[in-house]
Amino acid sequence: MWFDTLKGKFVSDFIEKARWQYITKGLFVTFEVTIIALILGIAIGTIIAIIRAGHDQNSKNGLHGFGGFLLKVANLLCRVYITVIRGTPTLVQLLLMFFVFLPNCSKIFVAMLTFGVNSGAYVAEIIRSGIMSVDAGQMEAGRSLGLSYSKTMRKIIMPQAFKNIMPALVNEWITLFKETSISGYIGLNELTRGGDIIRGVTFDALLPLLAVAAIYLVFVMLFTAIMSKLERRLRESDKR
Amino acid sequence: MINVNKLTKSFGDHVVLNGITENIEHGEKVVIIGPSGSGKSTFLRCMTLLEVPTSGQILFEGQDIMEKGVNINKIREQMGMVFQHFNLFPHLSIMDNLTLAPIILKRMNKEEAKEEAIRLLKRVNLLDKADAYPGQLSGGQKQRIAIVRALAMKPKVMLFDEPTSALDPEMVGEVLDVMKELAHDGMTMVVVTHEMGFAREVATRVMFMDGGGILEQGKPDEIFSNPKNKRTQDFLSKVIV
Repeated sequence: MWFDTLKGKFVSDFIEKARWQYITKGLFVTFEVTIIALILGIAIGTIIAIIRAGHDQNSKNGLHGFGGFLLKVANLLCRVYITVIRGTPTLVQLLLMFFVFLPNCSKIFVAMLTFGVNSGAYVAEIIRSGIMSVDAGQMEAGRSLGLSYSKTMRKIIMPQAFKNIMPALVNEWITLFKETSISGYIGLNELTRGGDIIRGVTFDALLPLLAVAAIYLVFVMLFTAIMSKLERRLRESDKR
Repeated sequence: MINVNKLTKSFGDHVVLNGITENIEHGEKVVIIGPSGSGKSTFLRCMTLLEVPTSGQILFEGQDIMEKGVNINKIREQMGMVFQHFNLFPHLSIMDNLTLAPIILKRMNKEEAKEEAIRLLKRVNLLDKADAYPGQLSGGQKQRIAIVRALAMKPKVMLFDEPTSALDPEMVGEVLDVMKELAHDGMTMVVVTHEMGFAREVATRVMFMDGGGILEQGKPDEIFSNPKNKRTQDFLSKVIV
């Protein structure tokens, strides 16, 4: 009996009128938003982390001249950005972006930008902690060989920092992937909203939402697996 | 080669160097000794601007290294630095540790840098470690690699900041041997160390530092056998020479 009921629900939820497409199309949108936001987040985060770490590392010897002044101002701006982004709910940022700052832009663009800018703040602090976790002697060794600050950063500090922060970064990206589900609030038809639309049509909450949850879960597990493989490869130089 | 003029350095209110004026000539092997906190490491680090002096002047081959517009990186290429804690790059193989800077700074192409690295590794008997990572090496091996990493840039002077202080006693010898060989080859060296035997054997000049200044200096024999300054006498009486 219950099996037939379930079967009936399944058919009406997913098969009839090709409703499964709400899920697949939604998943595609979720991926689009996540990937663009992720790239944007890394770009913003790296730049801000380098400014912040550069400021902290160089203030020991005092910041002089116009360059020093510029670094101080840039550092202050970065801190304001991080404080505001981390201090307000992502949903509020999304609504503000959509209704106030960018009322004439497409939903998907607003979502990509909001999540990118949001993720950037978290990524910045993760990368900064990674840079700070690399022994100060590494920077000194690089500089003493004649490498410039930026070359030392790129070739010596960053590779070590990234290895240290890989788990934290993956966590951030998993959070980002799941958090895009709030884009439904601005009417973007992503995965979660796809399931919710089906619920609205068929009045069955169980199957559509379970399907959505399962899809998120499978992909999160997949990311985790890929990353732990990558991490193992990065650990190669740790062998003793 | 290196002329230091009225060099001072303070960290906040704490004065570490109070007006040092000193010249280091080409080919000299200067060993700086003194108690902890005497400013000897800071003095050494100022020479390559890892520590920015509070005031004073440092000339490297006549060039004021603190002058505006001077590319400090170009000057550092000519000054090798060896640290107490080795500071090898743990994410790179030994070979890459040696070739990274010469290649990036376009001093050599990849093949030349590799050849030079092999030559240097042979010189310190560590060619078999070329593909190993720093984490797999002993302290003495790490420091020998750190020395040849600096040599790979073909510097004109080598600065050593307590190169054996972080080593197990039985590994000190192998590092000092490399340094002695370097000295015999005519390298200009400035060495901060507590190894009095090394100072006696290799130094052309020994400086005793305390309280941010050079209190006494001279040939090793004079300093070790017949120190004139009261504090030098105190210090040397407490260390095994």
